[in-house]
Amino acid sequence: MAERRLGNAVRLHRFLAREMTQAQLGERVGVTRQTIAAIESGRYSPTLEAALLIAEALGKPLEDIFFWENTDSGKT
Amino acid sequence: MPIPEQFARVWLATLLITYGIYFALVPGVDTGSMWSQLLSFGMTAVAQAVIIAVASAWMELRHRGGPRRDERDRAIEQRATSVAYHVLMVGVILSGCIMPFSHNGWALFHAAVAAIAIAEIVRNGVIVVLYRRGWHG
Repeated sequence: MAERRLGNAVRLHRFLAREMTQAQLGERVGVTRQTIAAIESGRYSPTLEAALLIAEALGKPLEDIFFWENTDSGKT
Repeated sequence: MPIPEQFARVWLATLLITYGIYFALVPGVDTGSMWSQLLSFGMTAVAQAVIIAVASAWMELRHRGGPRRDERDRAIEQRATSVAYHVLMVGVILSGCIMPFSHNGWALFHAAVAAIAIAEIVRNGVIVVLYRRGWHG
């Protein structure tokens, strides 16, 4: 079975949402800028509640923002 | 750098310095009068409290009105506390259940203080490491 890890497209969708800053997204979700940065860089996996709030703030379905990715072949 | 990580670094440095000096200078056996032993520990505890109070006030002023702790901060703190709990339990078993059969007096006191200090060092060390390396609940 291939190794999987939680990937995300928060950075991409922030850019598409008129280059929303990490601080602005954090304010909408109720977390700090550092937590958004940690999520984007894969250093923190958010709770389901925060993940849903991030997706809502970016105007996208959850699965567009967070997804499984194989460590060797990228997004699945 | 998140505020809780800054605070953990200050705690870590303070514990390493104050209790490092304390355990380097105060022997682990029953020597010296009770008052000199108490004075040594009292000075260490007061020095630690003063450093933490000053650092806390400085960080509070610097980050006034800024974002507070969020879910990531709480998750990291809970993880660090659960790791430190096991360290503390080992220390309590050693100082409270095993050492009383072979040691007494100040040696037991120092062992208990060491257990608490080491557990706190581990807790703050784990917090710093989890902020740097990441945490995936």
